[in-house]
Amino acid sequence: MTEALEVTGNPSRIRDKALALIPDGNLSACLTCGTCTSGCPATGQMDMDPRKFLRMAVLGMDETIERHPWVWVCTMCKRCYDVCPMSINIPQLIYDLRAEWPREERPKGILGSCDHHIKSCGGAMGVSLEDFKFTIEDLAEECREQPGFKALKADLDRQGAFFALNQNSREPVTEPDEMLPLWKILHTVGADWTYYSKMWGGENYCMFLADDPSWETIIRTQVEHIEKLGCKVFINTECGHSFYAVWQGLQRFNIPHTFEFKSIIEYYAQWIREGKLPVNADWNTHGIKFTVQDPCNLIRKSLGDTMADELRFVVKSVVGEDNFIDMTPNHSMNFCCGGGGGSLQAGFTEERHAYGTVKFNQIMATGADYVITPCHNCHAQVEDIGHHFEATYHTVHLWTLICLSLGSLGENERTYLGPDLAEYGL
Amino acid sequence: MSVKETLGSVLIAGGGIGGIQAALDLANSGYYVYLVEKSPSIGGVMAQLDKTFPTNDCSMCIMSPKLVEVGRHLNIELLTLAEIQGVSGEKGNFEVALFQKARYVDMDKCIACGACTEKCPVKVEDVYNEGLVTRKAIYALYPQAVPLKYSIDADKCLKLTKGKCGICAKKCPAGAINYEDTDKTLAINVGAIILSPGFKAYDPSGKDIYNYDGSPDVVTSLEFERLLSASGPNQGHVVRMSDHGKPKKIAWLQCVGSRDINTCNNAHCSSVCCMYAIKQAIIAKEHDPSLECTIFYMDMRTHGKGFESCYNEAKEKHGIRFVRCRVHSVFGQATGEVGQIIDYLDETTGKVTREIYDIVVLSVGMEISPEVKALAQNMGVALTPGGFAKTDSFNPVATTREGIYVCGALQGPKDIPQSVIEAGSAALSAGASLTTARGTLTRALTPVQENDITGERPRVGVFVCHCGINIGSVVDVPGVRDFAKGLPFVEYVADNLYSCSQDTQDAITKVIKEQKLNRIVVAACSPRTHDPLFQETLLNAGLNKYLFEMVNIRNHNSWVHKDQPLEATIKAQEMVRMAVAKVALFTPLTEAELSIDQNALVIGGGLSGMAAAKALSSQGYHVSIVEKDQTLGGQATHLFTTAKGESIQKGLQELVSDVTRDENIDLFLGAELSEVDGFVGSFHSTITQKEHTTSTTHGVTIIATGATEYQPDEYLYGKDPRVLTGLDLDRKFIAEDPALNTVQSAVFIQCVGSREPGRPYCSRICCTHTVVSALHLKEKNPSMQIFVLYRDIRTYGEREALYQEAREKGVIFIRYSTDDKPVVEDGGEHLTITVTDHVLKRPLAIQADLLTLATAVVPYRDEKLAQFFKVPINDEGFFAEAHVKLAPSNFAVDGVFLCGLAHYPKPVDESIAQAQAAASSATRLLSGKTINTSGNVAAVNPALCSGCGVCEAICPYNAPSLITDGRDAGKARINPVICKGCGACVASCRSGALQLKGFEEGQLMAMIDNI
Repeated sequence: MTEALEVTGNPSRIRDKALALIPDGNLSACLTCGTCTSGCPATGQMDMDPRKFLRMAVLGMDETIERHPWVWVCTMCKRCYDVCPMSINIPQLIYDLRAEWPREERPKGILGSCDHHIKSCGGAMGVSLEDFKFTIEDLAEECREQPGFKALKADLDRQGAFFALNQNSREPVTEPDEMLPLWKILHTVGADWTYYSKMWGGENYCMFLADDPSWETIIRTQVEHIEKLGCKVFINTECGHSFYAVWQGLQRFNIPHTFEFKSIIEYYAQWIREGKLPVNADWNTHGIKFTVQDPCNLIRKSLGDTMADELRFVVKSVVGEDNFIDMTPNHSMNFCCGGGGGSLQAGFTEERHAYGTVKFNQIMATGADYVITPCHNCHAQVEDIGHHFEATYHTVHLWTLICLSLGSLGENERTYLGPDLAEYGL
Repeated sequence: MSVKETLGSVLIAGGGIGGIQAALDLANSGYYVYLVEKSPSIGGVMAQLDKTFPTNDCSMCIMSPKLVEVGRHLNIELLTLAEIQGVSGEKGNFEVALFQKARYVDMDKCIACGACTEKCPVKVEDVYNEGLVTRKAIYALYPQAVPLKYSIDADKCLKLTKGKCGICAKKCPAGAINYEDTDKTLAINVGAIILSPGFKAYDPSGKDIYNYDGSPDVVTSLEFERLLSASGPNQGHVVRMSDHGKPKKIAWLQCVGSRDINTCNNAHCSSVCCMYAIKQAIIAKEHDPSLECTIFYMDMRTHGKGFESCYNEAKEKHGIRFVRCRVHSVFGQATGEVGQIIDYLDETTGKVTREIYDIVVLSVGMEISPEVKALAQNMGVALTPGGFAKTDSFNPVATTREGIYVCGALQGPKDIPQSVIEAGSAALSAGASLTTARGTLTRALTPVQENDITGERPRVGVFVCHCGINIGSVVDVPGVRDFAKGLPFVEYVADNLYSCSQDTQDAITKVIKEQKLNRIVVAACSPRTHDPLFQETLLNAGLNKYLFEMVNIRNHNSWVHKDQPLEATIKAQEMVRMAVAKVALFTPLTEAELSIDQNALVIGGGLSGMAAAKALSSQGYHVSIVEKDQTLGGQATHLFTTAKGESIQKGLQELVSDVTRDENIDLFLGAELSEVDGFVGSFHSTITQKEHTTSTTHGVTIIATGATEYQPDEYLYGKDPRVLTGLDLDRKFIAEDPALNTVQSAVFIQCVGSREPGRPYCSRICCTHTVVSALHLKEKNPSMQIFVLYRDIRTYGEREALYQEAREKGVIFIRYSTDDKPVVEDGGEHLTITVTDHVLKRPLAIQADLLTLATAVVPYRDEKLAQFFKVPINDEGFFAEAHVKLAPSNFAVDGVFLCGLAHYPKPVDESIAQAQAAASSATRLLSGKTINTSGNVAAVNPALCSGCGVCEAICPYNAPSLITDGRDAGKARINPVICKGCGACVASCRSGALQLKGFEEGQLMAMIDNI
């Protein structure tokens, strides 16, 4: 038997701090009912779960939890907070505890990404603005050679452009061809858009690091620069956490702005309805089945079920109503894939894979050939657990399928398509 | 301002079980009642229930007699489809504005034959069946509805919405349809108002958590209740609604819409869901023993009388599985296959486990509808933050507006017995405010002179009923009529479409007179509901009402043999032949009339006893209180505050002062009953105080003898001064003991002596008491560490807010199991209490300065008193009421009533409510001044009686006794006033000296001979 824990008189520093700082942070209101834990894919990882974590805070076991690495396994997906009958903000507790870690002791992957981002004033991969500029120009040149895209424009810091678009660093650095489908979509609909040069990377590892000042610096710099450019709408690319970092950052840091902040998916839907993006599912003659991952950051944590419905409208328009199989649960009730909260860089791979089994089983239950992931972290995690558990599904961004449907998907833009579609329409 | 006249009438808003009970109490105590119901018929939610916990009685069967009584009561006016719009005036004379929707069916003409419904082309959601099936736009709410009159759903009717159709008017044989009917506003003046609007079940639709909108296999508990019911959409066969497949696994999710401030705004516990889930699981399993039933819960709240043993039986006998986890969500399968997925935290493994269920039942909670809240506010009735009516523990049914009372769910979430108790309490309180006007507005029947039929040859009239199509569509009713014509002594036969309709009643009265009939047989529906109606018809015709026999050819023939019409008809004929043979042998029976002594005796001078005495005194009756101690107050003398924070000492002092000063109340302190004789209306008791005895006569008796606190021998109690019981702690609070201020760490242990093998019941009050005490300690010293070691926290109803407040203030609750109880050791400076934390699964060692044991409430098991009044005591030692659901403050023995801890553990507000309810029942009896007993009683033929005394020993009501003097000395006699007509003595009499009038041997043998 474990030695009895002396509980009387323990100062519950964490409990008191949460009470003082977190709205919905009265941890001792916990009913220990199990709602959080029964719905949490991180339950059991490192012998921890949300209820246990809270219990330790309530009992004043600060030493056990203040450096517990489980805070980096929890993805702060808010599935617990969503239905906790006492409305206790467990994800915020996790965030605040991450922030208590000495900065240099926080996971190196996340820390490095944040530092690169701040230092380069570009993105988390530390790419210089010159390199980014060159990539854009080079790719645009290449793209203009493809039929129908002679007049394609992709530029940076164009004053007065209607849309400002953020760009996840992953594409320009590791797979630049993945940038082209989105450009082609924007060109097709005649969008007047530009990239912006300061903190152009959409990702925000400083948020995952729980480094509020750096998170704020990134967002504030972006915002101020975009304001200078005079853009009317700030579009977030297919990425969940970058959306949330801006959406939440604007409120959290009270950053003044005149532009509207939107997800690209909202525009996909609008353009399809307006007929500007004439997608259809005629290409899917063999009934290839698709499912979609609802990114927590875009759905449950920010825009909610109306956004999830918009996402499905786009997906069904592209792959065909009959070829779409939803995961259960879905919309705001969806499970986090396990790639959120910085876990892909946190270094706890085994736990991340175990976390991902919930998502993996959900995907397999659909029997889908493809998982559409309109989010970079979801994409990476779903792709990775697919490999890890030796499944044959493919993981794709929406932009790939939209261009496939439009017949404009280039030969080099098919990294994530399976052999069934590798040649289609070429 | 002129003083307005006090009116002897009461308006009751809401015709559920609470409103019905209050209406009957008042109407039988000399007040005229307007019972206002917003739907077309009374009955409320109880009418929708299949069975009721914990006895699993058929809900409709126990309720139906009350429905019928209300429907036929001379002094109850039913106003259906009506709602209160506003109230002006004041206590004694209110003017109530009512809005009454058009029914479009003339209630006087409608004979409820159902022809309209049959042909109506419009299908609408059947609200009575929770929308699981459809009904027509013209409808009766449910088959046993009172009033059983059809009404038109104006929003759906084609004629009323589009001017088309009109079929129902063409089909109605009575010409009752009136499309020109209009909504009305009415103004009614009454002396008092009782609000009993009931609750609204939490609606889980529009939320994604439980997949309620996503799958028809996720149902609310009320929907499941209809699925279980034989009168429900599947005739009681539980099926998956998605494919009508047979379920193998059913899950219940507790606390849906309760104890949740996130997905809804209901912080309260709904009090009833744990028990109804257990009931539903047991019934479902009784339907199909192979069914796997699982209840997912947080705290199992079985805090009512008989509930804990029901819970134990559910686990041990019925194999219901209880899983302690509030599940995150429910979702369907990606493939679209049937089966709902539930992930739950398995506390034994610490892992999330996935299971698939055919049906998921959401145990939805109670809330007060926005309309009722708005109405309450509009009337000046203040509400609690949770939206329930604000009341005081010492005046539990009085709202914040004088003269307006409340009962049932609006007063706080509660079950049927508690609602019935409050109904009595509200009736008493409303009546007490109007005593000067009692009897001024009530009406009485003028009795018709009874014809003497002595010596007349039997002239039997037989009336056979079609019951619309209910009987007529199966049984050949004219065939039965013609068959009856040829039976001995039958002089007249007829068949009626609806024998119970007012015009048919008038016709029967006329025929009896014209044909000089002196015995009547009606072959129709159930005598349980309709016997009194036809007996009244006989009375109106000048016939003794016992010259009547009813044959149930509906339930026993057309309903059960609907596929064998020929055999059903033959059976109906046989049954009529038997009834005719029996009725021919009937003789007129007389009813004993007994005058009721207008004094009352209350045994026990605690809170309940005093409240009962005060209540009776307020109605103008003289009361004697017998208290065994030298002072009044009972357990309340040790109690600090109520759950609402009121000082119990202050409330007690006021009550003691009221009772002491009351000229209508005589106090006998240090006294006990040494002898009791007599029966309802005329008890003779001897009160002994030391050497002094007093004899008293009283018409009614209220038992309020209370209970005591369990004295533990565990957890170092009595060995270490730092270990207290809950009452010990209260005494310290009352005394403002300074030692409490210096406590740094306090621990409470729950269920000490309760829910244990020797004492299996839950003591109901201890969880709330502990939480309140913890909050008092926190108030004294906010930094005090407080731990509550519990098994299930049972802060039912709005008491849940206290549990939440305690947690929010840092009180830590640790759940222990009975196989790993806390260990208390004297650690010198501190007490060391070791307990395994239920979440961490590791032992915690708590250093405490104060340990309070929440000990059981223990009944006195007063066998002597039980013997005096012939009232039963249950296994646990509490007095056993007449009916756990509908007569919680009555005994089966007439004239004896029950309240307070002697009935079951309960807090101050509930004790006072029950005291007033007992007083209300007593008032019903006293205000009648006389009672007529039934003519169907046992009688002794002294010539045959051997005086063996078996009847005396066997009678549960003390009706037989042996005559002590005169010609028949040594022979038995039956006191007809006490006899309930059960027949136990008749069956036990070895000499054949006993007969039950109306069921005499010759009459029964005649029936058997005629099979």
